[in-house]
Amino acid sequence: MKKMILKTVAVTALLSSSAYAHFQMVYTPQTALTKGQTIEFKHIFTHPFSDEHTMDMAGVEEFFVINKEEKTDLKDTLKSITFKGSSNSGKAYESSYKARKMGDHLFVMTPTPYYEKNEDAYIQQITKTVVNVAGAPSDWDAELGLKAEIVPLTKPYAIWEHGSFTGIVKSNGTVVPFAEIEVEYLNRDVDMKNNQMGKSKVEAPQDSFVTMTIKANKDGEFTFAIPKAGFWAFCALGVGSVKEYKGKELSQDAVIWVEAKAMK
Amino acid sequence: MKRVILSLALFTSSLFAHSAIMSCFDNGDGSITCEGGFSDGSSASGVNFKVEQNGKTIFEAKMSEDSEVTFKKPSSQYSAVFDAGEGHQVYVKGSDITE
Repeated sequence: MKKMILKTVAVTALLSSSAYAHFQMVYTPQTALTKGQTIEFKHIFTHPFSDEHTMDMAGVEEFFVINKEEKTDLKDTLKSITFKGSSNSGKAYESSYKARKMGDHLFVMTPTPYYEKNEDAYIQQITKTVVNVAGAPSDWDAELGLKAEIVPLTKPYAIWEHGSFTGIVKSNGTVVPFAEIEVEYLNRDVDMKNNQMGKSKVEAPQDSFVTMTIKANKDGEFTFAIPKAGFWAFCALGVGSVKEYKGKELSQDAVIWVEAKAMK
Repeated sequence: MKRVILSLALFTSSLFAHSAIMSCFDNGDGSITCEGGFSDGSSASGVNFKVEQNGKTIFEAKMSEDSEVTFKKPSSQYSAVFDAGEGHQVYVKGSDITE
């Protein structure tokens, strides 16, 4: 009976977490740059498909970039902003970065855990975004040994529409078999100037198309075919090694953003 | 001997199966830095580089260990040329090089 109750609790917890699929964004409008330039980022904690609620980010623990194996701390470049979603506004950040050097600029942000009242638990999404300058690859596939990490096997910035993305879910360098991964399409244009979301682009026929849930295989590997150009996010749920924050449950997730381009 | 052949084969494939890439930026201090590379991520260290103006070569160098070359910004129109051999030359116009 006890087991049964536990199972019910676990299932409910899973259900509610999928009903509120949060995604940390480290967003810049172009991830494949033809030449070096200064790029702008918006760091927003939201629901990229439905845009039903913009969360107040609790802060940032770490934000850095790696280019040709050289790590640069970018935490001081973050500025507080208020970002307007279609239903509310939330605390977010913006930053600016001079992506001058050729190759990959691998950005990693670890936000301060966010308290999710509905679940009485904290969420921390360690998020990767990769920007490439001029087409020469360098660091996109680097495995950083993060507490929660998706290591890409596909360049996240070089995907054609109808192509696919493959990644491996890891925690501290160890694969996470059968990890549960949520996938969402950024269903809005991000108005970089006015810090707000645009209108939705596509309609989901049913809820399972809003947040798509897939699973990694026994080797922690997954592949997802990208049906539409634009930005897609993958979030491996609760794969991180830290399970508790301030005496409450912590879901330490790994997020990676990828961008597919239309063939035209 | 076998090993030599193998490494030769790898070298060839990196030169011919992949495209050459160059990206340049203006340092804002009167100098330009160009960075060379290949689409497979291999280094351009030691690859020939030149700056051309009116069809003449006004500067020549080899890419550094970091696959970079820094040179004085010419006063009028010029092109930076990454010369990794026949079919692997990349031209970047001076007017396209920004800060």
